[in-house]
Amino acid sequence: MVERIEDLNLPNAVIARLIKESLPESASVSKEARAAIARAASVFAIFVTSSSTALAHKQNHKTITAKDILQTLTELDFESFVPSLMQDLEVYRKMVKDKKESKASKKDSSVAENANASATAAAEEAAE
Amino acid sequence: MVEPKTQPPVERPPSAETFLPLSRVRTIMKSSMDTGLITNEVLFLMTKCTELFVRHLAGAAYTEAFRQQPGETLKYEHLSQLVNKSKNLEFLLQIVPEKIRVHEFKEMLRLNRSAGSDDDDESESGSESDE
Repeated sequence: MVERIEDLNLPNAVIARLIKESLPESASVSKEARAAIARAASVFAIFVTSSSTALAHKQNHKTITAKDILQTLTELDFESFVPSLMQDLEVYRKMVKDKKESKASKKDSSVAENANASATAAAEEAAE
Repeated sequence: MVEPKTQPPVERPPSAETFLPLSRVRTIMKSSMDTGLITNEVLFLMTKCTELFVRHLAGAAYTEAFRQQPGETLKYEHLSQLVNKSKNLEFLLQIVPEKIRVHEFKEMLRLNRSAGSDDDDESESGSESDE
């Protein structure tokens, strides 16, 4: 759990970079404004998490899913975030899948026969 | 109240990379969740959407602030003004409160009065307390 309140702060340097990227090049940001944005971001994360948790519980789910978060964002009036988040999620899922597959194929090459045998067995089992 | 234009998210290619540290976002999420389990996918999505929020907040405050008056430095006041105006930022009202100065307070009262409000005798006592 959280031991110190600072543990809820997001790193300043990253926040500064994200802000910079979303403003025109000539723009600058006061220290106070940057601190406020960082604080707001932490609160946003907590807010979305607790709203998503409530939504999940309403559907009798114990833990939140990606879908809960996207739906919550829409309900909280941040539906403009959803399309690009869905794209990110797609890329992320593909990455995870590729990672799994490359791990699996590595295993396969070392114990190819075993894997093949068990795969056939599994397929047969599934067919029954 | 002026409804702020919906700010299109800053253009950027979809990516599985995050800028914010996942571990920190996990800590933040845990501070609000009553159940412990957070899947990697949910953590990723939350991190991404927090990043998006930072971009959105900064971009929207900037656009809103410098539409009327020229300037290049985004200040705290611009943020609190945006928070005050935007329905979907209501949850930040306590987090990014509007600072109020004595002369602004008086101006507010003046406007209230001209709008037909009649209680203005608090202007002296009330205005001192803030700064």
